[in-house]
Amino acid sequence: MTPQRRDMQGLVFLLAFGLCLGLTAPVFAQGPKPGAAVPSERVRSDISTREIEIQSNFTGIEIVIFGAVDNAAPSPDGAPYDVIVVIKGPSQDLVVRRKERVAGIWINGKSETFDNVPGFYAVLSTRPLRAIATEEELAEHRIGFSALDLGPDDNTSVDDDLFRQAMIRLKEEHLLFQDLDNAIGFVGQSLFRGTVDLPVNVPTGLYTTEVYLFRDGQFLSKDESALNVKKVGFERGVYTLAFHHPVVYGLAAVAIALLMGLFAWFLFRKD
Amino acid sequence: MLQVYLPIAEISVNLLVILTLGAAVGFISGMFGVGGGFLLTPFLIFLGIPPAIAVATGANQIVASSVSGALAQWRRGNVDTTMGGILIIGGLAGSIAGVLLVKALKAYGQADLAISLGYVTFLGTIGSLMLAESVRALRRERQGKPVSVRRPGSHNWVHGLPFKMRFKRSKLYISAIPPLLIGAMVGILVSVLGVGGGFIMVPAMIYLLRMPTSVVIGTSLFQIIFVTAAVTLLHAVFNQTLDILLAFLLIVGGVLGGQYGARAGQKLKGEQLRALLALMVLAVAIRLLIGLVVTPSDLYSIAPVVPL
Repeated sequence: MTPQRRDMQGLVFLLAFGLCLGLTAPVFAQGPKPGAAVPSERVRSDISTREIEIQSNFTGIEIVIFGAVDNAAPSPDGAPYDVIVVIKGPSQDLVVRRKERVAGIWINGKSETFDNVPGFYAVLSTRPLRAIATEEELAEHRIGFSALDLGPDDNTSVDDDLFRQAMIRLKEEHLLFQDLDNAIGFVGQSLFRGTVDLPVNVPTGLYTTEVYLFRDGQFLSKDESALNVKKVGFERGVYTLAFHHPVVYGLAAVAIALLMGLFAWFLFRKD
Repeated sequence: MLQVYLPIAEISVNLLVILTLGAAVGFISGMFGVGGGFLLTPFLIFLGIPPAIAVATGANQIVASSVSGALAQWRRGNVDTTMGGILIIGGLAGSIAGVLLVKALKAYGQADLAISLGYVTFLGTIGSLMLAESVRALRRERQGKPVSVRRPGSHNWVHGLPFKMRFKRSKLYISAIPPLLIGAMVGILVSVLGVGGGFIMVPAMIYLLRMPTSVVIGTSLFQIIFVTAAVTLLHAVFNQTLDILLAFLLIVGGVLGGQYGARAGQKLKGEQLRALLALMVLAVAIRLLIGLVVTPSDLYSIAPVVPL
């Protein structure tokens, strides 16, 4: 990422920070009116970069998710707010294969297919997930790797679990699945922010960002926003051509090779 | 650093590494007078380019690297176009079969294995044969005996086959079946391994078809251009595994490297050159074999589901 971009993100955050302070300050000043119902908390959020463009110099990008809790009020027992952010990329069917040794050579043997695996899946939170809410609560909102809906579980054997774990582990190694406890930090009582790195191999498409607000293990509010990762410029042109007009693309590749070969011949020929 | 994002391989590579690889392979092919695909594709795989993309992109690079050689031979009248045409027809059939084979293997998750195994077998055999041959020749030379050039005999089983054709420039009247089969075999090799196929085509032309050595190189280069072009197109259409940017960078490096390689090659003796090439071929085969035999650090792998 370029330094300018980092500055921009900082600026965006500061602006949001200022805006939220402006919005929330009156709430603190006035306090809930006697007799009136206490307005419930609402979480609001945004992303530093809603459009991520992949060009030839793309080596990954850091995005900032920030937000605020409207109508924030201290809890009677002093429990803090908890925020969980789930960033999910476009889904894809994946096959997981396990190598087996056959005649001294390792070859792909048993395999298992998982439907609708998110191409990117990051969970950021203020604390470890288990400390924020119960397993059931997390599963209900489909938060966390274990809550991913990966198509019908045709068998629940030990092997099935092994393949599932391997898939998650490989995705984590490629930084396409990220489980970031303590990645969200509060600034004051109602503002929070967190950063996540999208790696170079991040899939293109529409992403959703879900921000959940919890306190005392209770789900309070949810906010959603979208994020678009797309190839632009030359990369987009090449990709579109290769997948939508493969004949033109192939012919262009051959023509370029022939022309460059001819050019080299003219340049270096001795006869 | 000069990182470049490859649009189809979907990884970011160092521009200088790719240009250097192209130049190094170009240098070696210029020096030894070989296509270089047999080195380029494995090295792309070693760099982390998915094997199927390395194969298709390697084929595209060979189109460019064969043009100057073919043109030079053409101007000297060393291309038998009739023979070349038959070899191309066989080559196209082989290419289609090979590309569809890669597609099917990809769906079953065995494409990478097939490519590696193909290389180990192909390079291992050729490397050993070449090494034995050049060691024999070097020893003979040291003993003061003249390096004998094996003179191909006049007739073999090839002459008994039907569908005979006249190949004027090769001064041959033989069946069209053997060149068709040789062409098909080369087509399969190009599409599955991303090599030019000159490695087997040249010996087959000399020893099987008994073509005069003067037209062998020109005719094989003539065939290679057409078949690698067809394979490039077929992979682009059926497998979407062609990375045009990667190919372009490799071609730029290759063109430059090739010129210097040719000059360096003239300073080395033929027998030494062949022994050196044989060692290089064997080294690549062994490196790939190790990759197949050593217990992988991770037994599991993931890939998108490819429809058959």
